[in-house]
Amino acid sequence: MFSDIVQHLVNGLVMGAVVALPALGLTLIFSVLGFINFSIAAQMTVGAYAGWLVNSQLHWPLVPVLAVAFAIAGGIGMLGDRLALVPMRRRVSAHTPLMVAIVSIALNLALENALRFGFGSDLNSFDLPIARDVQFAGIRVGPQQVHNLGIALAIAVLLAAFFTVTRVGKAMRAVADNPDLARLKGIDPARLSNLATFIGMGLAGIGGALLAIDTSVDPSTGSRLLLIIFSASVLGGLTSLSGAVLGALLIGVVSEMALLVISPVYQSATAFVAILLVLLVRPSGLFAGASGVRK
Amino acid sequence: MTSRRTFLTTGAALALAAQHPLLRAQGKEPIRIGILIPLTGATSQFGATMSRAAQIAAEEINAAGGIHGRRVEVVIEDDQSNPEAAVRAARKLIDVDRVVAIGGSYASSVTSAIAPLCWESRTVLATSSGADSITKLPHQGYIFRTSPTVTLQGTRVGDFGIELGCKKMFFMGPQTPFAQSYIDILSGIFSRAGGTGAGLIYEDKKSSYRSEVDQALRTRPDVIVLGGYVPDTSVVLKDLYRAGYDGKRIGFSFGINQKLVEAVPAEVGEGAYSLVPSASVNAAAYKRLIAKMKVDALDSYSCQVYDHVNLVALALADAPAAAANGTTVRDHLRGISQGAQGKVVDGVADALKLLGAGSPINFDGASGPLEFADNGDVKGVFFRYEQIQKGKLAVTKVA
Repeated sequence: MFSDIVQHLVNGLVMGAVVALPALGLTLIFSVLGFINFSIAAQMTVGAYAGWLVNSQLHWPLVPVLAVAFAIAGGIGMLGDRLALVPMRRRVSAHTPLMVAIVSIALNLALENALRFGFGSDLNSFDLPIARDVQFAGIRVGPQQVHNLGIALAIAVLLAAFFTVTRVGKAMRAVADNPDLARLKGIDPARLSNLATFIGMGLAGIGGALLAIDTSVDPSTGSRLLLIIFSASVLGGLTSLSGAVLGALLIGVVSEMALLVISPVYQSATAFVAILLVLLVRPSGLFAGASGVRK
Repeated sequence: MTSRRTFLTTGAALALAAQHPLLRAQGKEPIRIGILIPLTGATSQFGATMSRAAQIAAEEINAAGGIHGRRVEVVIEDDQSNPEAAVRAARKLIDVDRVVAIGGSYASSVTSAIAPLCWESRTVLATSSGADSITKLPHQGYIFRTSPTVTLQGTRVGDFGIELGCKKMFFMGPQTPFAQSYIDILSGIFSRAGGTGAGLIYEDKKSSYRSEVDQALRTRPDVIVLGGYVPDTSVVLKDLYRAGYDGKRIGFSFGINQKLVEAVPAEVGEGAYSLVPSASVNAAAYKRLIAKMKVDALDSYSCQVYDHVNLVALALADAPAAAANGTTVRDHLRGISQGAQGKVVDGVADALKLLGAGSPINFDGASGPLEFADNGDVKGVFFRYEQIQKGKLAVTKVA
């Protein structure tokens, strides 16, 4: 029984790691720009396709594949933002964040269907060998999944360093805190918004490529997980980067542990009940204010 | 506006013409058979070949002189893979075209939606849908099904597992209307054979099924039946591979197929079996049909549509004295498809000749021997047993 519990814990961490990177991206964009960009799901898919193309056609290995996924998803994400969302954001009213979020859903659907139009609905597979799990004191661990978890955590640490040490990172936090004041100080909010969108969507692209290695590359690769990514971000407090990672891992662990007692059909219900309970006790999210962009 | 008005006036004129006794000269008016198939939408993969097969059937009947001197005309409508559009199309076929029967009808949701319209208007419905519930409807004999039921497919998968020498079955599939019945049917088959059976229903759209796989492997199965569609089945297969599972894996045609082969690394899918409803690939009717369509092979569903048209025409040909309507088709269909005294025949021209000479026939089609139980379900259908071998689907047997 004990080994079952540990096994489910490990499985939950692995699940959470896949969600962590897109959740980081969503949180970063929300922190700096103040709205939820739902087109992140389509950018995950963009990253998955970009990575798959260089992997299956040019036989690039994993790390350069992820770099391509980051750059392409970031670039297309920034382009989509400039074309569809920036015009909406210019007309500032009390409803702007909600309206922009709704337009981002439309953008998400448009991108997803553009991919469907270009690549068809077929499922594609990365040309990477699938590794058998390693037994470790009775616990099965997948080398590739551990790798994913490591990549997610390393990127989270890098981002945290970026925001606390570098000038641009600090400027971004300033914009997040008070855009008007930041502008008075000579910071260009438009440029920083672009950068935040690029990094956020790029993270989603990496997450999408990692996800697609485990599942498949198809037009719905990202949108299948959108709700759970959003939940991880909310659970983490929406503005805390470490919160997004912890929120993702927590959702993964809770939903996998629940399998020990209930039928797998109700799995996502357990995750959402857990979120409901957490938010009842801490309405601003588990990790709001703990650390991250906004203090 | 003009087109709508034209449509309404011609529609009304047609409806009048159809009812006016003088205009409806017997022997001149063609016999119309409706073909309601998915030409667009999510289930449209076989729409184009279904349409072609239906037209070929009508051409063959007309080349053989038609039915009692009347031509046969197929009226093809698109159900758009959508029950609501299907109901509108079926209404048009029944009320405007006055068809004696509707064939095709592929998605179970479409068939369930149009079935009441058919039996209430005494129109025969020949369907290629699988849901068990369809023939349980109070259809008064107007429904004939040429596709194997979901239950039959589950039974065949179970029997195949036993045949492979397996004892401990575990079923994994997403939440669908038939998932629990699969677990029950398969577990029943294995426990009757002295083995055990269990299963779990998972949530689709997950990025990993590690915990579900753990749960399955705890029962130490030697065969895992995969009841999912391609996206989730590909993830489950990968997780089974990672977990080091080396027992048998059997799936259904909607989960393990060419798309799946392309969606997983070769080592992951290698050796997995799939059960596919098959046309009657050794039958002369099938060989003639694929030659006419200029294809190397044809799916079962297009063959079924071809058979629907022939069955309806021959049922009418069997009853020279009766009016050419749905009730006559219903009452004479079993007479030409499965009569014990009938001469076995697989071409519509030969069948019409024999019927003209007054001798009974037993018509076999391109999709199978076409024998129907009292509830309208087909008996004796064929399945193709396929296995992924060296990254390709290979047929291991047809039975």
